[in-house]
Formats: sequence, structure tokens, C-alpha cells
Amino acid sequence: MKKSLLEIWGDVVEAKALVFSIVIITTLTMGAHLLAPSDNDTLGLFAGIGGAVSGFLICAFLFKPRRIITKEEGDR
Amino acid sequence: MDASLIIWIVGAALAAVAIYTFIGFIPGTDETSVLLPITLAIVLAGVEPMAVLAFFIAAIVTLNLTNVMPTALVNLPGGVMSSAMIEHAIEIKKDGKSAQVIKKMAAASAIGVIISVPLSLSVAFLLRPVGQAIAPYGAWLFIIGAIFLSLISRAKILSLFAIVPLSVLFMALRHLYWGLGVVPDQTPITVSFFLGITIGPLLVSLFRLLNRKTFEESIIEDEKHITIPVRDSNPEKNPLRLLNREEATHAGIGGFLVNFFFVLSPVGLTILVGETFGRRFKEKIKRAFMSVTTMSAVVQATYLSGIIIPLLALGTPLSPVAIGPGNALFRAEPVFSLDNNIHHILSVGQFAFAVVIGATIALVITYLFITRFAVDFTRIILKKVPHEAVLGLFIAFIVLLAYMDAGLINIFGVLLIGLLSGTLNRMGVNYGVQFMSLYAAPLIVQLLSGGV
Repeated sequence: MKKSLLEIWGDVVEAKALVFSIVIITTLTMGAHLLAPSDNDTLGLFAGIGGAVSGFLICAFLFKPRRIITKEEGDR
Repeated sequence: MDASLIIWIVGAALAAVAIYTFIGFIPGTDETSVLLPITLAIVLAGVEPMAVLAFFIAAIVTLNLTNVMPTALVNLPGGVMSSAMIEHAIEIKKDGKSAQVIKKMAAASAIGVIISVPLSLSVAFLLRPVGQAIAPYGAWLFIIGAIFLSLISRAKILSLFAIVPLSVLFMALRHLYWGLGVVPDQTPITVSFFLGITIGPLLVSLFRLLNRKTFEESIIEDEKHITIPVRDSNPEKNPLRLLNREEATHAGIGGFLVNFFFVLSPVGLTILVGETFGRRFKEKIKRAFMSVTTMSAVVQATYLSGIIIPLLALGTPLSPVAIGPGNALFRAEPVFSLDNNIHHILSVGQFAFAVVIGATIALVITYLFITRFAVDFTRIILKKVPHEAVLGLFIAFIVLLAYMDAGLINIFGVLLIGLLSGTLNRMGVNYGVQFMSLYAAPLIVQLLSGGV
């Protein structure tokens, strides 16, 4: 798959990075949740959120935002 | 009240400020999706009800204040509420005044909080006796609410038509799970259904891309071009001096009025009041300034009244805010249920104390942070946080909560809800109507099948 930029929800994403992000974050979220003791909903929810946050950080490290940022000339 | 409880309350508020300052600056973080799971986790963890309330209040004040920053500075809406301001924010940015306007917006937002907290507490206190009288008819109120929200929306007839089929879908899934024994009989699955509705439009956008033709048509050439303003060097921090008299009055009146319309959709109210007030001014840039400052105050007031009034007066989630992001304060089995939640557990005094502490801590810290660091923080977030990760996070949250509610099959149940809700949403049926239908569903289906 070549790089395909798409606009979703007001910002630009790259298709492959989006698929990977969804897969990585969901896998870590559910993985952490399933590893937590199954008789404790609270712990399970915290584990899931923890997994989600780590997945989020990994993706933030792996993929660079598709934004070209420039400075404004200054306020008039 | 002992010292350890106060430490819990203050600690909860501080935690909310830390978490939601960060989330608020990330563009496109939908309020319900980020408020509901974390609040639910706090409730289920058995945190003191007063601390839970302080957490939620601090969370919404912080989020509403920080969400407007990326909106104004780089024209990417921080959340659903700030999408209402986007047109005016673009206008202001074109004029090179975005670094200046964020301080005004923060000041107006502070006015909204300062007016709305005491006012909605008073309104709720006065409504409490009425609340007890109408509480037994709660289920009917949801049907009336769904009809009412349809009638005031833009797509009236479509919304009315959507109520019953949506209710049938929700109950069909519940009965399926009960019948299959996935969850114990009569367990009301709600949280994941809510998020299914919330995330619906995103799911529809993503699923459309699975069609090769739509995918190829959606490909764009260039990355997102964003310009970031230079920080405004004005050291002024006093909110009353940051706003001119007209802006302060409009923000104040707007923030005052919306408290009485807490049952209406916050986004709808924000657009209505902000646009109406802004339209009084002919000059384009002045109109934009007036609209965004008024809206900043109104956003805070709609959220605060939307949670405080139903929770203190009724204990039944009778506003879009209570039904959506604040749902865990009303119903989070086994800790809270509709007969035993924060409304029933806390006295009026305890309730007011937690609200005031939560709002004050959030307002002071976030306000000071924004007036100093908004520009730098926005730049860091935009450089470091890819949009892909934000979308991935939403999908992961919904999968997690769907699975926790009713196992593997519910992931697909929620997908079904999301695709229908998202499609209806695009056609014009707003979140409020859809959320109300979810609450009205048991009674509607009972009426349709012949039993009352």
C-alpha cells in the first residue's frame, strides 16, 4: 500500500498508520483487560484504560502527525 | 467532614485537571468518549461520592476551557462543543488575532463558570420538591424528552420517526443478550450503547473507507497546513480587564440564560445563543469576537447546569449532559443505580461543597495555565500527537466497554448501533434525541408490545 492521505474528522491521517494505530491500541487495550483478574470489573477497566494509554503513546512515537506547522508572522 | 475526605475531594479535582488539560488540547477528542470511561472507572473504584462529583465537575470545567484553545489557535476543534465556534475562529485567525482571543475566551469561560455554579445549584435546590413528585414518572419523562428534543431540532419529522426504530434496536439487542444468557436477565446494558451512539459518525466515516471506490475518492494530496501564532505578550490576567464591557455583559447574560434550558442540547444552545448575540454586531471581526466569547461562557454554563440540575434536583438523567458524559454519576452498577446515586447519597450541603471545590480548583489552575502556556502547549501537542492515535484510542475504548458490558457479541452489537446512529446523525438526528431514545426504549417497547 502506498501512502494515502485522508481527511477524517477535520484532520489528516495516513491510511496505513491509521489501520496500524487502531490495531495496536485495540490489541493492547484488550490484552491488558484480559490479563486482569476477570472477576474484578474495576481492575479490568483500569487495566484496559492503561493498555489504551500505552498503545496511544506507542503510536504517538511510531507515527508522525500529518501536519505542516509554520509560525504566523506575528499579531497585528 | 474530616480532613481525609477533603483531601480526597481536592485530590480528585486536581487529577481531573491534570488529565483533561492534556486531553482538551488534543484536537477532535469527543467529550463523551473521554469523560465517560474515566468517570466510570473512578465510580467503580469506590471513590467517595463527593470526590467523584468534584472530579467530574473539575473535568468538565477544564475540558471546556482547554478545548477552545486548538479551536482558536489552529482552527482544529478541540471537541464537539468547540466545533460550534469554528467559523468565527477561522475569521479571527485570518485577522491574526488568535493569540489575543484565547485570553478573552478563557476570561469569558471563567465568567460562565462563576455565574453558572451558584445559579444552577439554586435552581436545582428550588426544583428538588418538584423532582420528588415527578420521579415515579421518570420513564415517561424520557419519552417526552425524546419528542421534545426532536421538535426543537432542525430535522423534526425525521427525528420523531427515528425514536421508535432506535428504541426497538436497543431493546432487541438487550433481549438477544438476555435470551442467549450473555448477561443476567434484565441487566440494562447502557454504557457501551451510549458510546456506540457517540462514536457513530466516526464509525460511518471509517467504514465508508472500506469501499475501495470511496477510499480512492477520499485521498487528498497534501498534509494539513497549520500556522501557529506567536504568543501574545500582554501580561494581563484579570478576566474583567481582558474583556471589554460589551463582551463581558454578553458572556454573563448568555451564561445566565442557558441555565434555565438545561434539558436542551448543549451544542444547540451554544450555537443559538452565540450566533444570536454575535449577530447584533455589524462589523465582521467584532461579531466573531463577540460570538466566540459568548460561546465560551455558554459552553461552561450548559455543561454545569446540565449535570448539576438533574443530579441535585431529580437523580434522574434528564438532560443531554447527564445522559451522555455524566451518565456514570447516575447509573454505574453496582455502585450507583437510578434509585441510589449521588442524588440520594449526598445532602444538598455536601453536593454544593463538592461542586464548588471542583469548579474552583479547575478554573483557577486551568485559567492560569492557559493565559500563559496555551500557544506553546498547542504547538507541542500538534507536533507530537498524531490524529491516527486519537482515532485508534476511541475505537479501543468502545471495543473495551462493549466487551465489558456483554462480551464479544456486544462488540458487534455496538457496531450495529454505531452504524445506524452515525447514519441518522449525518441525516440530521442529533445526539440528544438518540440518547433520550435509549433511555425511553424500555417503556416504548413495552407500550408497543401491548403491556403497560
